Amino acid sequence: MLKNWIKIFLYQLKNNKFFTALNVLGLSLGIAGLVFAILYWNDEQSYNAWNPNKEKVFYTVTNLGEGNIWGSSSAALAPKLPTAVPEIESFCYTNGWYDNGIFKYKEKKQLVEKVMSAQQNFFSFFPFTILRGNAATALQNDGMAVSESVAKQFFGTEDPVNKQVFYKKKYYTVKCVYKIEGRSSYEPAVIVNDVETYLKENQDKWGNFSYSLLLKLKNPADADIARQKIDKLYFDYRTVPSAKESGMTPQEYEKKYESAHVILEPLKSLRLHSVVEDAPEGRGNLQFLTIMVVLSLLILILSIVNYINLATAGAIKRAKEVGVRKILGAGKANIIRQFVFETVITTLFAILLSLVIVELSLPYYNDFLYKELVIYGGQFYLQLILIFIVVVIAAGIFPAVYVSNFETLKVLKGNFGRSKSGIWLRNAMLILQFAIASFFIVGSYIVYQQVDYMATKDLGFSGSQVIDITYNNSYDREDENSEKITLQKFYSIKDRLSKIKGIKEVSAGTFAFGGGSINTSGFIYKDIFVQPQNMAVDFNMLEMMKIKITQGRGLSEKFASDTIESALLNETAVRMIKEKDPIGKTIEWNDKKLKVVGVVADFHNKGLNQDIPPMIFFHFKTVPWMIYNVHNIFATVDPKELETTLPEIEKYWVSEIDPDYPFSYDFVDKRFARTYESYAKQRNLFSLLNLVVITIALFGLFALASYSIQRRMKEIAIRKTLGAETQTLLKELSKQYIVFCVIGFVIALFPAYMLLDKWLDNFAFRISISPIPFIVGFIVLMLLTLIVVLSKAFQATRVNVLKYLKYE
Amino acid sequence: MINIQNLSKIFSTEEIETKALNNVSLQIQQGEFVTIMGASGCGKSTLLNIVGLLDNVSSGSYKLLDREINGLSEAEKSKIRKQNIGFVFQNFNLIDELSVYDNIELPLIYNNVPASERKKKVEAIAERLAISHRLKHYPQQLSGGQQQRVAVARALINDPKIILADEPTGNLDSKNGNEVMELLTDLHANGATILMVTHSDYDASFSQKTIFMKDGMVLTEKQNSRNVDVLVSNS
Repeated sequence: MLKNWIKIFLYQLKNNKFFTALNVLGLSLGIAGLVFAILYWNDEQSYNAWNPNKEKVFYTVTNLGEGNIWGSSSAALAPKLPTAVPEIESFCYTNGWYDNGIFKYKEKKQLVEKVMSAQQNFFSFFPFTILRGNAATALQNDGMAVSESVAKQFFGTEDPVNKQVFYKKKYYTVKCVYKIEGRSSYEPAVIVNDVETYLKENQDKWGNFSYSLLLKLKNPADADIARQKIDKLYFDYRTVPSAKESGMTPQEYEKKYESAHVILEPLKSLRLHSVVEDAPEGRGNLQFLTIMVVLSLLILILSIVNYINLATAGAIKRAKEVGVRKILGAGKANIIRQFVFETVITTLFAILLSLVIVELSLPYYNDFLYKELVIYGGQFYLQLILIFIVVVIAAGIFPAVYVSNFETLKVLKGNFGRSKSGIWLRNAMLILQFAIASFFIVGSYIVYQQVDYMATKDLGFSGSQVIDITYNNSYDREDENSEKITLQKFYSIKDRLSKIKGIKEVSAGTFAFGGGSINTSGFIYKDIFVQPQNMAVDFNMLEMMKIKITQGRGLSEKFASDTIESALLNETAVRMIKEKDPIGKTIEWNDKKLKVVGVVADFHNKGLNQDIPPMIFFHFKTVPWMIYNVHNIFATVDPKELETTLPEIEKYWVSEIDPDYPFSYDFVDKRFARTYESYAKQRNLFSLLNLVVITIALFGLFALASYSIQRRMKEIAIRKTLGAETQTLLKELSKQYIVFCVIGFVIALFPAYMLLDKWLDNFAFRISISPIPFIVGFIVLMLLTLIVVLSKAFQATRVNVLKYLKYE
Repeated sequence: MINIQNLSKIFSTEEIETKALNNVSLQIQQGEFVTIMGASGCGKSTLLNIVGLLDNVSSGSYKLLDREINGLSEAEKSKIRKQNIGFVFQNFNLIDELSVYDNIELPLIYNNVPASERKKKVEAIAERLAISHRLKHYPQQLSGGQQQRVAVARALINDPKIILADEPTGNLDSKNGNEVMELLTDLHANGATILMVTHSDYDASFSQKTIFMKDGMVLTEKQNSRNVDVLVSNS
């Protein structure tokens, strides 16, 4: 029997090469999309999954009110926790982010990224596989733990344990080598224990939230109790004293300035569900992941629908075969088995083809996601089998049952080719396809519009001819003249850079365009609390970036006070303090009285997905320690001289400023563009998927129109005999598809609007959805439909009438 | 009305050439009722299709209403066809998806007849052929005889100059077949020109002239003795 089935299958394959190819291709594109989504999904879900403590370990997030939610905690909690919160089994502070620096071992000198500083018990929170040495004692004193790759990089085949490595002004002793199996929210390349020193220095500073705190609870169910107890610690030690200082009761104070509240996030769900992005390896993009999975499911549905449509339409051609089989004794079940068998083979083909597609395009996909996904893993193969089963059931069973229900006699008598059975379902599915295609066309257009809006929006500054040089600002805080030395160093760099041919102007500020300022201090003005970004600048900074001053004046060397107490606020800050005439007003900022001399027009220094924050500007000399926060030096370059200017800067930089770090620069506008890079990528992805969806949908439409027109050939012949002209026939034949197209489009309208509107909510600066994407989408869809249907219909009207009039 | 001279039609496949019609010459006058007979494959249907402008000739001349057809474009032929020719087929060739009314109305639509006039015409012809009560039905709901009446109605709706009937009784029982033949005779009596292909001597006997064909050639022509007037009184 199997042999017979295969023979017939191969015969059909040979005789319907084109449609079979379309079918397999459509299905494999659908499956490939899902495979991509699954690979991404598996990778994101695997974060911390290996960690046996994933349920017990909690990441501490602190909510300081006013939208200040940080993945960091105060060091002052440390001495209190053991007694005040007995639910905690142990805790571990880390510096919360990765540092980087030059490592020296013998003659070898290399930059190492992802250096983390953690307390001694870090390995009991993240029990990485220990290859050498002892993890428990690795982080004592000047001990250092290195990952396998760093060990290889520096020591090759030598045993790294007890080797001395120089890093940031002192020697560390390598105590253990570890290997991280699986993805983790913490994947340091090197771990040291410097944080301990800072914790001691800060152990009574309740207002300093600079360290990341991991908690291991005795019982994860007590997380809420532990959270409340930590909240209480903050209340008792932070809110109460501050209230006393400002002469209020704690309750009054709390009403005005929120107390710190803690959120405990289990490691298990940290990667995708954290409220902050502050874990060292960041947060997974849950929204994007969901979009990927949903879109790929839509595409798979589309291709399954296609398959069903083609299979049922094609089955009519095979009605006679089914009739004969039935007369010869095949039962319904047997017929079903035969047709499901064919789907199984087709699906196997499709899956193999989809794996080929995935394998070939995986590098691009990885590039796109910044990941290193591979087709591998027991879980993945299980999922693949599951996809196989689902596709076979969804795509195979229905057409098989449909075919098996053919009435033997009707079929054998002929005239079955014009049967109307199953047509409503095919039409419904066609409408569904139109709806999905409409959604994609409209959606990708809107995404395109938003990204275009971001790319062309007036950002409030001009960065097209300004380069941003990464400045590894090193300083020695222990030197009492450190601030002066650091400032002096900056001025000498500025001087030297200005002399390079092609550089017009050089300046700096404690912020980057696209990254904002990392430094922020709150101040209270007439009872209103504002938390502006601190923007220390050089005199010419704002002018050089063409940032406008709307009131008062900018900072200038001409005024002695401008290096002592003058400050500017941006428009947002002025709005927030509700001061109509801010010029000349005094602000009490960090024990300093700053006098407002001007208002700066709002400009974007963070991504367009965020509102413009309040900002306060002052000169480096006004707040001397701010010079430490200069990490970018800006220079206006003459585009004509660029080819000689850039190598010269690099030469100077590498030889005199920073021989150890790689020279890195970018144009300011390009750097800013990175803030919406991920959305630009989403746009590209959406466009690509759009192409896939339209292709599959047009395949389906083409095939279905072919079958349907085939079915109507006799009718066409009769009409032609009766004198119908080609034009009339074309109208007649394409009418229904136009109706389906319109219905499908209308169905997609509302979901497309809703979902895209939600997506646009990601952006503080967004377009509003106009009718244009819908109109364009509709026209495009209609045009494509007409092209496909009319070409097919035109072909039909050309055929010889006699063939269909006579023999039926 | 129809003047065919030395008409040949050759079907060729990859391997063989078949001469379906071989130097056929034939005249049909206005108001004549002519039957073509012959064994299967003798070329009679091919001839009918050519007369009906559904098929092209390989050589020779075909004049319909003194106009040379050979060499006309599809569109011109389509125009002549819809204005002058009505078809009745063995298997009726009705469109199953359309109601009886819609089927009959089709030729009028293609001839751009205004809707109000169409309605009048369809109702008139339906009454004449006794299918008024069936206008809302679909072809599949009718008996074979009724379906053929609908097909005849459709062929007549446009007042064609000539009616072509390809074995109109072939799919009907004798009673229904008779009815259809009487209908055609009736039309003939009222002045219609009819060219009919049939296998049945009995059906042929309704016509004035029978042409016998064999292997693509006209064998003989025979004048039928039956008196038309008698039949008119019978029907």
